[in-house]
Amino acid sequence: MTKQCRTLLATMCLAIFSCGAYAQNKTVAIGYQAPLSGEHAQYGVLFRNSATLAIENFNKSGKLPGVTIQLKFEDSKSDAKEGVNIAKKFSDDQSIVAAIGDFSSGVSMAAAPVYAQNKLAQLSQTASHPDFVKISEYQFRNITTQAYEGPLIANWANANGAKKIAIVAIQNDWGQSVVKYFADAVKANGGEVTETEMFNPGTRDFRSILTKIARSNPDAIYLGSFYEDGSAFLQQKVQMGIKQQVYATSSLYEQKLLDLAGPAANNVYLSTTFLVESPEPHVQAFVKEYEGRYGSKPQMFAAQAFDATNIVLNSIVAAGGANATRAKVRDALAATKDFPGVTGITSFDPKTREPSKILTKLQIQNGKYVLLK
Amino acid sequence: MFDIFFVQQLVNGLSVGFIYALMAIGFTLIFGVLNVVNFAHGEVYMIGAYAGWLSITIFAPPLFVVILVALAIGALAGFGLERIAFKPFRRFRDEASLKSKAMREATLLSSLAISIIVRELAEKIFGSNMQTIPQDYLLLTPIQIGPLSFASGQFLIFGLSIVMLGGLQWLLKRTQVGLSIRAVANNPMGATYVGINTERTIIATFVIGSTLGAAAGLVVGLYQGAIFPAMGFAPGIKAFVAMVMGGLSSIGGAVVCAIILGVAESVTTSFFAQGWGDLVAYVFLVMTLIFFPTGLFGGGRDRV
Repeated sequence: MTKQCRTLLATMCLAIFSCGAYAQNKTVAIGYQAPLSGEHAQYGVLFRNSATLAIENFNKSGKLPGVTIQLKFEDSKSDAKEGVNIAKKFSDDQSIVAAIGDFSSGVSMAAAPVYAQNKLAQLSQTASHPDFVKISEYQFRNITTQAYEGPLIANWANANGAKKIAIVAIQNDWGQSVVKYFADAVKANGGEVTETEMFNPGTRDFRSILTKIARSNPDAIYLGSFYEDGSAFLQQKVQMGIKQQVYATSSLYEQKLLDLAGPAANNVYLSTTFLVESPEPHVQAFVKEYEGRYGSKPQMFAAQAFDATNIVLNSIVAAGGANATRAKVRDALAATKDFPGVTGITSFDPKTREPSKILTKLQIQNGKYVLLK
Repeated sequence: MFDIFFVQQLVNGLSVGFIYALMAIGFTLIFGVLNVVNFAHGEVYMIGAYAGWLSITIFAPPLFVVILVALAIGALAGFGLERIAFKPFRRFRDEASLKSKAMREATLLSSLAISIIVRELAEKIFGSNMQTIPQDYLLLTPIQIGPLSFASGQFLIFGLSIVMLGGLQWLLKRTQVGLSIRAVANNPMGATYVGINTERTIIATFVIGSTLGAAAGLVVGLYQGAIFPAMGFAPGIKAFVAMVMGGLSSIGGAVVCAIILGVAESVTTSFFAQGWGDLVAYVFLVMTLIFFPTGLFGGGRDRV
């Protein structure tokens, strides 16, 4: 045995020994379910990036000495059955004190009863279906829903003098909630909804809908869609010479919309909770760190996941760190108040578990999102 | 209800109909010859759009060069498609195999397989998102005629459909290739016996059909501002419906039916909601199949 070998062996023994010495270093785990393959894989990847970043920062920060937080990430494939299986797996894993996910409302709601039954808190960063948090007291979300956003935009449009508004939204659960909450708020303000048009997912030609809107002659148009449909809509609106002001849902806050739609996107009003260009230092720190590690600027979805992870980490601290139990973490989550996240200051309503945030108003000007005061 | 907006709605419908027609032309040509649905036609359409888009982002040539690139790549794609998905199943030349339903269904599935593989590959390479098209190339320049709004792309799509339809009729009636295509479509065995090179004719059909498909994909992609891997699917379904309504092997019939579908959709949107548009289109299909089982223009199988 050479000297080198002996040194190596000694080091190894020491390493094993020292591990034993730190045995009381407790590991607390967070389960994260999101699609890493399948139709929505791109979102799951963003979530994993953000969650990994948040947890590594937390472990380095030493907020909980002697406790290591571990991230257990599972691929739900954007499939409800898979989501249920993961929820069962997480529930059986006693080291997990809280779960985050899934991406879509559908999968989140499929997994929710399993979490409720096992009394494990579930926080979704994106599930915005109105019924999600109504499933049990174990469901949370940190994304604002249309119940919050719709009236805000309605008031904004009404304050700008638009009384007659046409609504265009995608035909799905989310789109229906866009229409409902916005229309209710417009009517409550004494305004009028001239036309409500739901379009099928995958529609590329909006000219028929635009013609119908032009006939109803509104003061403004409210658009509830994702950026790809939104960009086609805006381009065709300009081509058809329809001049009405467009207000849009926060889902259109996406760099890709500006690339796709070009000048057609100018003047659109919208709101957002996360602004990459925000001057606030903690947002800039997140943007810089994320970009440095993953090579692209974080968008809304990545920021939502970053905040969701941090809210859970915060609740674990509040629930006693090493002694955190599932029940205590749930109660701490429900008590979340004024959490300073990158998507704004977030509070959960202790009863309904609905989040409230401050929405930032934006306008697209010369191909850029510009913050409105 | 019957005001200028209604006329605008008809214009919208016509432009949608011509998009379906562009796709239906190549689709019906291939069906007419082989009597089998080529499920990969939507992917050829997508490949044409991507080829054009790549040439735009790399060289930024004038539009007609971009179309030529799409045509060339479309021809290649058609040739490759025939080689991989259709040719291997024509190895058996005995009469039983030629008449076998299993053989026909085999190419149905192999073309579906190619379609899935190509689409997934495109998603892997380019991502499933829509590609950013430089604004200068978008065929969305507004053209206002009186109170009606048109886009430059609508005229190009209209023109292209007329040129394709006319060119194809000329090709089929006046050229050697076209005559052999019609002969093979009519009776492949008979065509072989009189000395027509069936293999080469089938390849030619695929090349021509796919060239048309690729050009359609590019023009529609630029007109809608939407080039993405799954772009061929929705118009593919409508082109299929138009082909069935038109009598399976009548190209002119498919074009007329595609226009009926487009106008029906937009007029329905005008009176009800957009979601009902597809329903009306399919009601037309069902009614056609009940009252005209061979399609509106399908006299027999001899026409291409």
